[in-house]
Amino acid sequence: MKLMTHVVVGYPDITSTIEIVIAMEQAGADYVELQIPFSDPIADGPTIMKACDIALKSGVTLKDCFKVMKRLSSQVSIPLFFMGYYNTVFSYGVEKFCHDAKSAGAYGLIIPDMPPDEEEHEHFIAASRKHRLAQIRVVTPASSNHRLKLNAQVADEFVYCVSHYGVTGSSVQLTKSLVPYINRVKKHFNLPVALGFGISTPAHIRSIKNIVDIAIVGSAIIHTIDSSSSNKSMLSNIKKLVRSLKI
Amino acid sequence: MNFFKYKTKYDADASGHFGPYGGRYAPEMLIPALEELEEAYMKAKNDPAFEKEYMYYLKTYVGRPSPLYFAENLTKHLGGAKIYMKNEGLNHTGAHKINHCLGQALLAKRMGKKRLIAETGAGQHGVAAATVAARFGFKCTVYMGEEDMKRQRPNVFWMQRLGAKVIPVMEGSRTLKDAVNAALKDWITNVRDSHYILGSTLGPHPFPSMNRDFQQIVGYEVKKQIQELEGRQPDMLIACVSGGSNAMGLFYRFLEDPSVRLIGVEAAGEGVRKKGRHASRFAGGRLGVIQGYKTIFLQDKEGNIAQTHSISAGLDYPGIGPQFAYLKDKGRVEFSAATDKQALKAFNLTVKHEGILPALESSHAIAEVIKRAPKMSRDNLIVVNISGRADKDIFIVAKALGDTEWNQFIKEQAK
Repeated sequence: MKLMTHVVVGYPDITSTIEIVIAMEQAGADYVELQIPFSDPIADGPTIMKACDIALKSGVTLKDCFKVMKRLSSQVSIPLFFMGYYNTVFSYGVEKFCHDAKSAGAYGLIIPDMPPDEEEHEHFIAASRKHRLAQIRVVTPASSNHRLKLNAQVADEFVYCVSHYGVTGSSVQLTKSLVPYINRVKKHFNLPVALGFGISTPAHIRSIKNIVDIAIVGSAIIHTIDSSSSNKSMLSNIKKLVRSLKI
Repeated sequence: MNFFKYKTKYDADASGHFGPYGGRYAPEMLIPALEELEEAYMKAKNDPAFEKEYMYYLKTYVGRPSPLYFAENLTKHLGGAKIYMKNEGLNHTGAHKINHCLGQALLAKRMGKKRLIAETGAGQHGVAAATVAARFGFKCTVYMGEEDMKRQRPNVFWMQRLGAKVIPVMEGSRTLKDAVNAALKDWITNVRDSHYILGSTLGPHPFPSMNRDFQQIVGYEVKKQIQELEGRQPDMLIACVSGGSNAMGLFYRFLEDPSVRLIGVEAAGEGVRKKGRHASRFAGGRLGVIQGYKTIFLQDKEGNIAQTHSISAGLDYPGIGPQFAYLKDKGRVEFSAATDKQALKAFNLTVKHEGILPALESSHAIAEVIKRAPKMSRDNLIVVNISGRADKDIFIVAKALGDTEWNQFIKEQAK
């Protein structure tokens, strides 16, 4: 099964972000999300919120995120995504954002608060198409068939399924209802299925191995950063975690 | 029985856009809930039984209609236009917030929800939400920025007495916008059994339109009351604007009467030139998409929400209700701003001349009256919305006025 991991750019600092992503690739990550820090990350739980806050307080800018993407895309061979919130994109300029993200080497974009319903006003999906950036759509157990269909029409690469009702990092019990939910998603999306939110242990991965194609791990990486005593141990702990999740 | 069928040419389109503003920029996990809410609201709007129930509780529980009061002394003192005060401070729970809380609670009941989630800044919306939760049998959780909990302690106490769980929000600036984030996240997690009783004319569609509809009772009453008192309609309406619920409540029924000037007053805090020390969105704000909708937000150059300040906890929200952004573009509503000092001065003047204690939020609107009334003719009529009363502001006002006896009292109580 494939694995997508996650970093907040500039957490704990810019240099570490670069080292962490390289370490993740070495340990077997298949994709990495580089989250652009934002003041009000509406879909994120306390762990990622705090990381965003710290990155912003240390002065991390969107320009820094482009620079990190540029450095990393020349050093790793796995696809790297920008994850972020729409106001960052909107404020910079939708067209310019997509252009600069692509030039920096981004493979695709995950912007959870820009639904296809607003495309008519935003032309964001069109801009990401134009610049050949994969458009990752996020769906949830609450998504009706109508909404799955709407998102499927504009989705690329894989579909990002939120595992349960909640924000990132919230504890998860992968219940029986997961199977019918994923089956419903598969009916609408002709793409690999990725599952995220609350997935942090090898046991979680084993329990979803036969259900989905890609596991997404975010907050657990930040916990590992936080519990490491030095930069060196941080990198080795992250590698250890990523290896254990690659099942 | 057609109260909720009232429409204007300034309303949102079917997808909740007021021109370029508004919309539903929500993460996917919220969209089904917003669709469910919209559908339930559209149904309720067209159901005479819903209107009857809403009107019944407005009258018997909230205490409506609230009086339209001729502020004779203030009028004489300022020596210009005749000043009328729409006194929403006399509503049950002390502010206009109960109007939309009642409407939403009745709706949540219809939707079969068991729990209400609310955010609150000044605490007035939180108290009103906790009140309707107690009355209609909902569990209730209120998110409140830690900073606001300090500023509005009395309201925290009352929310807890009313059975609500008040959760301090420790993130960001620890004020209203952070409480909105926390409430939205709770809703994402508990969307199946909970209704988010959002407290202003902001947020993703249908909240701005729905809360406006529940607040329009204010202006609806004013139209009748002023006709009875003066035999004509007013020349000017003035209200403070943060998200915009009280101002929209007063203005909405007048939007299509071009002879009535509409003035919204933002919080200028320590002055609109001081970055981060005011909450005037039209002084330094720009178009953005945050918290599920598009409007003018105070933000930094990267699109992160900027720090704001106002002496009143209810006016420091960084975004303006989307319909107001639209009404400004259309030239239908004019905007002004009042500083902390001007608001305090207006507060003192109103207390002294009228024996009315206006909330610090509403005092911003009165500050605008003080600027405008003397320049207007004695035949002119101004209606100002006293959106709430000041009981909750006792600590802030005492501190701002440097009341030594009060300080002594607080010290003794703390022993």
